[in-house]
Amino acid sequence: MNGRQPDEGATFPPDTGARRRPAFAVRNPRVIGLLIAIFLVGMSFSIVNPNFLTVRNMLGMVRAMSSLGLLALGLTLVIIVGELDLSIGAIYGFTAMLAGTVWIDGVHVVPALLIGLGAGVFVGFLNAALTTWAGIPSFIVTLGMLNAVEGMTLLISGARGINPKYAEPPVPAGEWDIFRALGATKLPLDIPVQVVWLLGLAILFWVLLHRTLFGFRLAAIGSNTPAARAARLSITRHKFIVFMLGGAMAAAAGMLDFSFLGSTDPSAGRSLLFPVFAAVIVGGATLTGGRATIIGTIVGALLLSVLSNGLSIIGVGAFAKSIFIGTATIGAVMLDRFTYRKRARPGQAP
Amino acid sequence: MTAAARPESALRLTVRDLQKAYGHTQALAGVTLDITGGEFLGVAGPNGAGKSTLVRMISGEEEPDSGEMVLNGAPWSPARSEARVPVVHQEAMLFPDLTVAENLLVGGRGNGLARRPVPGPAHYDILRSLGITHDADRELGECSLVVRQLTEIARALAHATDAQIFLFDEPNSALTEEESAELFARMRALSDAGNIVILVSHRLNELAHVADRVIVVRDGRVGADLTGEALTEERLAREMVMGEAVQAPGSVSRRPGTGILQDGSALTVRAWRHSGGSFEVEELAVRAREIVAVVGVEGSGGREFVRSLAGLEEATGETSLPRRPPQPTSYLPADRGESLFGDFDVGRSLVARLGRGRIAGAGGLLKRRTMARLGERYMQEFRVRAASVAQPIGDLSGGNQQKVAIASALAERPDVLLLEEPTRGVDVGSKVEIYRILRTFTEHGGSVVAYCTEIPEVFELADRAVVMARGRVTGELNVTDHGDIGSLAEAVAQKSGGAASALERPGGVDASRGRA
Repeated sequence: MNGRQPDEGATFPPDTGARRRPAFAVRNPRVIGLLIAIFLVGMSFSIVNPNFLTVRNMLGMVRAMSSLGLLALGLTLVIIVGELDLSIGAIYGFTAMLAGTVWIDGVHVVPALLIGLGAGVFVGFLNAALTTWAGIPSFIVTLGMLNAVEGMTLLISGARGINPKYAEPPVPAGEWDIFRALGATKLPLDIPVQVVWLLGLAILFWVLLHRTLFGFRLAAIGSNTPAARAARLSITRHKFIVFMLGGAMAAAAGMLDFSFLGSTDPSAGRSLLFPVFAAVIVGGATLTGGRATIIGTIVGALLLSVLSNGLSIIGVGAFAKSIFIGTATIGAVMLDRFTYRKRARPGQAP
Repeated sequence: MTAAARPESALRLTVRDLQKAYGHTQALAGVTLDITGGEFLGVAGPNGAGKSTLVRMISGEEEPDSGEMVLNGAPWSPARSEARVPVVHQEAMLFPDLTVAENLLVGGRGNGLARRPVPGPAHYDILRSLGITHDADRELGECSLVVRQLTEIARALAHATDAQIFLFDEPNSALTEEESAELFARMRALSDAGNIVILVSHRLNELAHVADRVIVVRDGRVGADLTGEALTEERLAREMVMGEAVQAPGSVSRRPGTGILQDGSALTVRAWRHSGGSFEVEELAVRAREIVAVVGVEGSGGREFVRSLAGLEEATGETSLPRRPPQPTSYLPADRGESLFGDFDVGRSLVARLGRGRIAGAGGLLKRRTMARLGERYMQEFRVRAASVAQPIGDLSGGNQQKVAIASALAERPDVLLLEEPTRGVDVGSKVEIYRILRTFTEHGGSVVAYCTEIPEVFELADRAVVMARGRVTGELNVTDHGDIGSLAEAVAQKSGGAASALERPGGVDASRGRA
């Protein structure tokens, strides 16, 4: 029954190319706003303490930002499809601990790291299975998973930190070098290798979300799940993929930080959950799904890192820092609410 | 109706040129109305004509864009007024975890720090007057639909002891006839006491019998105002249809169904049973180039049947449909909130259903130029009125949103398009265009199955009507055999089991059910 819908371009005049694409700033007012905020915050910090705006501190800051960024990239996809993943911080700590433990037990470092990565993907698979097949809200599933995975971390570590180089017996020196190369290498100009990991994966995720059919459908599913069902988009499959990607990113972040530090302990990742969510939300994602951008997430992660690093440098203390970052996150979202009008959605008017 | 004839203290509400728009949809286009105390006013009108909007204005749930309301000679704004206007909604807005009596307390004046309030004798009096004292201390969630509806009414009464205006928005759509009669008696008592009672209903026979006066709202205006002799069910039916009947475009030829075509049928089902028990259809064969309307009230199983063809309701039986994708059908739900993606612009909405090979290459990368070109093309082809493809979908009028939804489904190039209520809440101009779009689709070889609840739509759209009642196909007719809407309506009513106004009675099927 072809022919009743003439094929592309058969009946219509060819594209004249007259469609004007609005400027980046117009399409992404939020990103511009965030960059201005980052600039202003950075200026203030450097006035209070000149040590903030030094090459050394900046490099350390973007290094620390990379694991936050990797987690946020994974979470962005989970959030745009309309789900939540609270277990990513726990996966971060667990996979590092698991990889380190099996490595110390004699497995070669490469398979050990792959086991860690696989474990992250597997936890993501469980999250997806419970959310889609069992129909339990992802908030509950991943909250439970957060606890269960933290328990696993304590179980395999005996609640003690590990340092493979000083383990008994220590890991082979060759393997140690491979391991350290992944996260602790300094590139020319002293650029930490972790920054390259973040940039590379950010570009990959940008293509995935904004330039592939997969990303287009993620946005559709998150925007309106019943409509996606009516359009026969494979909702379950898409959710499996994003949860598993989220788990993989958490594992990657955890093991890269492990590599950078050379050691890990059972509490690793616990303090990451808030900044990761804050970065994604400040970056413009809506918790109900359908709207999120990779650039927003990255800029959001940058703002959170600047705040965290700057507040430490000016020495306000951990407690005040926590209060300030929490308040700033709420403030950023509130500002956004007041600045942009609420968009009408179809089917609302009678 | 002169004010001078009444005592000065008499209640009098005047509504002048009330207007309200949602986005580009003009829900109320200037309603002017004069109501006096003691009057029982009925409000009728097709879906999406503005009835509910009018109710929301008078109750103060929303404010009009322009126009004014005058109560007893003084400008009045229900939203800011002390005296509340109680509203009984179609879908009860209640608290299922509280008891029936406790529901009456919610929203009452009081101090949040005070003890948890306890229902008093006054509350039980209200429940007694509605005959639901025996359920007073049960949790509402455990009670029957009837009790829930009566609780909603009791709540309205409990809250507004000083209220003079009462609004009922299809309060009895889930009630049986005796229950409805009881309810109407309560409402009549309110109006006899000098209050204004306004009843919005789909059931024309009820309006004709119960109300003193009925206005018919059409396209956001008062289309007719009937009292006394003029107020009959037939007249109401005619007034309802008048605004809605649009002339089928002359250029589009109609094709009577002439048996199975040589190229076979587009879709068949046999012994097709709903797993939830909503319908059992012995046979339906949809021919190529045919538009079939499945006609039935809510609960007739018609909606579920169409959804089952789309694979969204589970059903068993023989079918020509493949078990797995790709399916030869595309499906559109009635509610645009469930067919469109609110975060998308017009262009993306138009291509949202397309997949690999159309808008993406083998590697899954989007072909963005093709997407843009397709968006532009469909926007023109389906005459979507939008500033550009970059306009957010939510900014469009209901009619244009529906055109986008239909275009996005047709873009999938299905053999059969499955729709529910294709022009619900759509303006007259867009209706004509949507009918033309569907007709053009069948002229190019496609078939359409649409679940319809309104006879004018069946008349304008379909070649063949399959009438459903109580889960079964009760008759079939060729729409082209009928020259006017009246004759078609009569034939459909006959086939659906004699209930003369079955289609105006959403609760018709429930009427056979006893008190729960």
